[in-house]
Amino acid sequence: MNFDFNATEQALFKELREQLGSFAEGRSLESSDVVLAEQNARDALALLGGTPYLKLGLADGNGQPNGSLALMAAMETLAEVSQSLFLTVEVSTRIFGRALSAWGSDEQKKKWLDPLVDGKLLGALALSEDAMNVDNDPLVTEGRQEAGDIVINGAKQYVINAPLADWIAVVGRMGNESAIFMVKQGTPGLTVSSRLNTMGYDGAVIAGLTLSDCRIPANQVIGPFTGDTMLKSLRLWENQVLLAATLGMMKGSYESARVWAKAHKSGGKPIIAYQEVGFKLSEMLTLYQTAQLLAYRSAWTVDNTPREAESLTWCAKVFCTESAETVSSSALQILAGKGYISGNTAEQAFRCAKYSQIAGTSTELCRVKIGDNALGYK
Amino acid sequence: MDFEFTKEQLMFKQEVIRFAKKEIVPRVQEFDLKEEFDFQSFRKMGEFGLLGLHFPEEYGGEGADVVTTVLAGEALGEAGVDGGLTLAYGAHTFLCADTLFRNGTEKQRKKYIPKLASGEWIGCMGLSEPDAGSDVASMTTTAEKKGDTYVLNGTKMWITNGPIADVAVVYAKTNPDLQHAGISAFIVEKGTPGFKPGNPLIKMGVRTSQTSELVFSNCEIPAENLLGNEGEGFLYAMQTVEWDRSALLAPFVGSANFLLKRCADYAKGRVQFGRPIAKFQAIKHKLADIRIFAEASKNLVYRIAWCKDQGRPLNHLEAAVAKLFVGDWSLPVTNDAVTLHGGYGYTHEFDVERIFRDSRLAPIGGGTSEVQKMIISKLI
Repeated sequence: MNFDFNATEQALFKELREQLGSFAEGRSLESSDVVLAEQNARDALALLGGTPYLKLGLADGNGQPNGSLALMAAMETLAEVSQSLFLTVEVSTRIFGRALSAWGSDEQKKKWLDPLVDGKLLGALALSEDAMNVDNDPLVTEGRQEAGDIVINGAKQYVINAPLADWIAVVGRMGNESAIFMVKQGTPGLTVSSRLNTMGYDGAVIAGLTLSDCRIPANQVIGPFTGDTMLKSLRLWENQVLLAATLGMMKGSYESARVWAKAHKSGGKPIIAYQEVGFKLSEMLTLYQTAQLLAYRSAWTVDNTPREAESLTWCAKVFCTESAETVSSSALQILAGKGYISGNTAEQAFRCAKYSQIAGTSTELCRVKIGDNALGYK
Repeated sequence: MDFEFTKEQLMFKQEVIRFAKKEIVPRVQEFDLKEEFDFQSFRKMGEFGLLGLHFPEEYGGEGADVVTTVLAGEALGEAGVDGGLTLAYGAHTFLCADTLFRNGTEKQRKKYIPKLASGEWIGCMGLSEPDAGSDVASMTTTAEKKGDTYVLNGTKMWITNGPIADVAVVYAKTNPDLQHAGISAFIVEKGTPGFKPGNPLIKMGVRTSQTSELVFSNCEIPAENLLGNEGEGFLYAMQTVEWDRSALLAPFVGSANFLLKRCADYAKGRVQFGRPIAKFQAIKHKLADIRIFAEASKNLVYRIAWCKDQGRPLNHLEAAVAKLFVGDWSLPVTNDAVTLHGGYGYTHEFDVERIFRDSRLAPIGGGTSEVQKMIISKLI
């Protein structure tokens, strides 16, 4: 047992904090302007490509930290800087990229993974469909072989980065097996819908897409996969990314409220001196620290005790995402009018927190699965 | 970071669970309903080595590290041992014996620790008073030096093991003009003239632990019963916080795992509307919340334990966070467990009712949740 990160990991987190802090200065990272969002994403990837960050969990770290736990803590650093930038970078790197890293051939890795970890490629992964629930309903999107190529038909929704991505990994089926189809932006038959207007994550660009007789070469297929291992892994990675997002939300909103409570005076004294405020901050910190340790342990299980990783990640997903809503809401309350102004850290986190409860495995579904575990079902 | 216990630690945990299920758990309900301390189980804990687990072998202990010691507490909760007995164990081993060991002279250690580690003697700690709970500095119990003796006067309150203790570590002001720096610690043995424990208080939960006042009326003790140095009593009392936020919280973590299994078993067997209630999503949600509490609280508790093993000074912020979380979040979890059992959960027949009552002490004992929030808000 050890509750400390090692010196190399700590050095990486420090470097990231400093570089990302400088990067964020003067930028509107939560702007809903699509052009600006893409510029921010490309610039951030270029910056991070020069650090070990993008390689975390994907490629040999050459002595740099490389485990899922170090990844979780590093992701938290980016999530604290900007929720939207975080989602953009992490869907590309840790979901699109992890699929390549885990299942891609050497040739495929060279083609897509190498530029990805160098910060030169932006990816997206299209999973959700109209039925929404891949646990209960089979995927409809299908690729079939035709004259040596693969022809894809189907529709995907809520695809993060879809309008910006250079490549989109489309999850579908081939006959009775599942597969991932690598589709280049602009491929005939691929239509990306206009950007969706969402409650939070203003600077992340989310859209649906349709594939209508979209033809790709056979060497752009990853898989096929039997059983549900691939889908389960994607969900696990997505949930882990969302955990890191909530830690960033909580840290950012808690800190903004704490600093404000110490500086803002009412009745001649800082408002933190009032128990109503001081106690609220105490509860927020308690939730944040508890969530952080739970998220860290769930990340640790991914590498060390994989059999319990899925289940513990569900536990963390429920606790962290619900805590994020509570903490950001309390921060907003402490910040009062200032917190209600659009663009405030707490206000943004409050809106983003709701997404984290819905996306990946929803909190309701997580609870059902945890309950099933306890009951010995499935 | 590494969240893994060693194989030896995990094996030991299973041994403790087996021991507790065999020797203690079958007696829990009877003693809870009688509101009596279970001397037999306590002595068996001593024989098993639990009461002196972390003390060196030369004092009758097992030389265990802090994490292993905390794991034993979790195991007791997971086996289904009641909160009363685990509280008595905590007050005895950590609040009394450990304070004696850390601050006592070699003579004092040799005299008391083997007896406490074996369970031959029972210990308690007298700190709180009727008008001085978390505000320790306002205590009014005094210890006046008279020649080769100290004369104690005052009343201590809420003393776990008070009515049954053979020895007490008692805090009193040797200099009433000072606040914390005026407090000293003393060893007072049962039967000392002028020292009288009160009658056991009738409590909502943790009923097998015996709680009472300790009354000192011109109680004269030898000067050699001073523990450590004059004026350092508050420091010694604060040393116990490390154990309070780890070993004393661990049974709540274990108890949540016990509840999870109990509730799952009940839900699978209870049929309503033609199917086991386990098939309803709302029931699964309750089970999930119990598991989430167990998993979340575990990390906080073992972080304190691990830091103590590293010899680090207590991080008061992390300690308060652990206490606040375990205290406040154990209530909805035990409440859900009662609800899940329906009418049966409201009866003494099912142990979820006892666990619910026991858990109500979590946000009160050892510093209320409100005090933890005061500590945190000052530190941030």
